[in-house]
Amino acid sequence: MTAVARLGRLRERPELIGLGALLLAGALLAAVGTRVLTGPFAIIALASVLASVVALVLVAVSGTPEARRKIAPYGLLKPGMLWLALFYLAPLFTLLRLSLSTLPSRFAIEADFDWNFGNYVDAFTDFGPQFQRAFLYAGIATVLTIAIGYPLAYVIAFRGGRYRTLLLGLVVIPFFTSFLIRTIAWRSLLSDNGIIIGAVDWFRLGGLLETMQIMDDGRLINTPAAVIFGLTYNFLPFMILPIYVSLEKVDVSLVDAAKDLYSTSTAAFTKIVLPLSLPGIFAGTLLTFIPAAGDFVNAAYLGNPNTTMIGNSIQDQFLVQNNVPLASAMSFVLMAIITVFVVIYSRFFGTEELA
Amino acid sequence: MTTSRPNPFRSSFGNGRSDLTRRQLLLRAGALGAAGVSLPAILAACGSDSDSASSDTSPGTTTGGTTAGTTSAGGGSLFFENWPAYIDPTEDGATGTIDRFMAATGVDMRYTEAYNDNNEYFATIQPVLGRGDTIEPDIIAPTGWMAGRLIDLGWVDPLPLDQVPNAANLRADLRGAAWDPNGEFSLPWQTGFAGLAYNIDETGREITSLDDLFDPEFAGRVGALTEMRDTIGVILLSMGVDISQLTSFDEAAPAFEMLERAKSDGQIRRFHGNDYFDDLSNGNLAITIGWSGDVASIARDNPSVRFAFPETGATSWADTMVIPKGSPNAAAAAQFMNFVYDPVEAAQITAWVGYVSPVDGVREELAKIDAVLAQDPLLFPDDATLGLTRAFAQLPEDVEAEYDAAFSEIIGA
Repeated sequence: MTAVARLGRLRERPELIGLGALLLAGALLAAVGTRVLTGPFAIIALASVLASVVALVLVAVSGTPEARRKIAPYGLLKPGMLWLALFYLAPLFTLLRLSLSTLPSRFAIEADFDWNFGNYVDAFTDFGPQFQRAFLYAGIATVLTIAIGYPLAYVIAFRGGRYRTLLLGLVVIPFFTSFLIRTIAWRSLLSDNGIIIGAVDWFRLGGLLETMQIMDDGRLINTPAAVIFGLTYNFLPFMILPIYVSLEKVDVSLVDAAKDLYSTSTAAFTKIVLPLSLPGIFAGTLLTFIPAAGDFVNAAYLGNPNTTMIGNSIQDQFLVQNNVPLASAMSFVLMAIITVFVVIYSRFFGTEELA
Repeated sequence: MTTSRPNPFRSSFGNGRSDLTRRQLLLRAGALGAAGVSLPAILAACGSDSDSASSDTSPGTTTGGTTAGTTSAGGGSLFFENWPAYIDPTEDGATGTIDRFMAATGVDMRYTEAYNDNNEYFATIQPVLGRGDTIEPDIIAPTGWMAGRLIDLGWVDPLPLDQVPNAANLRADLRGAAWDPNGEFSLPWQTGFAGLAYNIDETGREITSLDDLFDPEFAGRVGALTEMRDTIGVILLSMGVDISQLTSFDEAAPAFEMLERAKSDGQIRRFHGNDYFDDLSNGNLAITIGWSGDVASIARDNPSVRFAFPETGATSWADTMVIPKGSPNAAAAAQFMNFVYDPVEAAQITAWVGYVSPVDGVREELAKIDAVLAQDPLLFPDDATLGLTRAFAQLPEDVEAEYDAAFSEIIGA
């Protein structure tokens, strides 16, 4: 009797059913994804997830308008929740578990989970230089993409006129070519007998570039500067596009109003345009810094043995050393450090919409 | 970073009819470069050309095979996954080995070029073979040391050698290889050497000794292979260590120390897989450790690039054919191995790929196709040169892990 009464009460609160079904489906799918539930249990779990989706559809089709309205948000959240459970939570949990495991032998396929925090100790102690270089190079590259990308986005947004779309297209078109092909192409361009060194010699800029530590003993390729340059080049559009989007929305009449009130152009820019475009810079920084810190292609092709980044080390641990637990721990440390950076960054520079 | 041995440029080596276009070469270089950094997605994006190349070699026309078949009793099927550009394709009026094999036996053969890198390929098959399941290919082409690893793990089946009478043509010096002492599990596909590759315009002199690699005159313009056994191998040989007898890490430690010093001093500019042709041709590298077959083919475009067997010795290696455990087509695989161990057929492959054939009697057959090539000392080294070469010992699992870790630390990964 009480069960019926409880069911009756729940009938009045359909949103609770919606929330419960959402969380349960997510948890079940994550459990299947991490192989906590296997065999017949996995089948039952998947069937339950499917049933909850079917029930949702039934409510949406035949429920009362009130029930439909209350359950709608949970229904709309469901695809995203299930996606995250299967393709984000489950892999993340698997990676975490692996990072605390030990391989019984080098080529074993299953690692034994034994709370092996030694992997994290190794990740910190053995790969310090690679972590430092990854964040240093990614940080410099991010600053450079802002320095190059902001003026470019500004000109396109405010001076582009009817050529805006065309100009924006020109920014993006080179990036239709594979990331890898473009990086390898820079090897030829920057080579000792390449056209760029030729131009540097012609203008007698060698001494200057050496002083700025861009060139090393007359070389551009296989230097730290080349790696940073490659990162800057490859991630530039990810900075330009968000900045452009935020600048495009800025109402030019605001600048006119500022000037009417005797503001200088500089003050109008720093007090109006720049603050309004901060969300773009913020988004661009995240889109640039995070992948750049984990990148290994630029260091592999444009660097030398003393400029490798953490991405190269993780790659090597996964594929050459077959030390999957250590590689997982390194990946986790990388993620953790990036998360800390992003949180700090968004506290100081984040805008209200994003922080 | 890991290495891929076969050279995409090698395809242009040999008689003129096998020339690839420049565009194909660049695309293949890109595809291999991708393998070097293990980016499967990007590899797929820029490697499509090697797909079409492999379909050149194996049109897969069952009808063509069976109608022309002479012994096509049942035919059967076969799948060989090999390194890129490692077999003569059907092109320009010449019939490739795959098509000749299908015509002769009626076996429906599939041939792909997805074996780009030993470590990367191992990472893809490990979860499958490790669980006792079978992988699709019936023959794969691991380099000797990797074949040894697969044999030790029990992930390959013994070859049905009673069905491969031509296996008797295996070169004497390849018998009893360290990775497969009884020759039960593997037959070499192609072999070669690692020694010194240099650009004489940049060095200004003939290079004969490994000391030149560490000569301060070339500081910052020296390279080395990311293939641990070749780089450490030639250095150890220069120290008088017999690399075929290594059993512990300590014996090799001096070579690792020497390499580490050269790397920290900036003597070594970069460690590379098979992507060193441009660097050597355009002078970014004056001298490096390289593979014999590669250099022969670069030299065709740029005669300044040369290969030297160091006077202290060069490493020799072999890419092998093995049958992954549980393959249902072992009989067809045996037919294929028998086919390519016929010197007449093997000479066709040698003429196109430009590496050293493991089959006795190829030189005589090759002389009928291409007399110049049959005299090439890199393809048919004399006994004195062969005496300078050594194969790297098959290391126990834990010792190999020590070598790999120490080497990765030096190359910066």
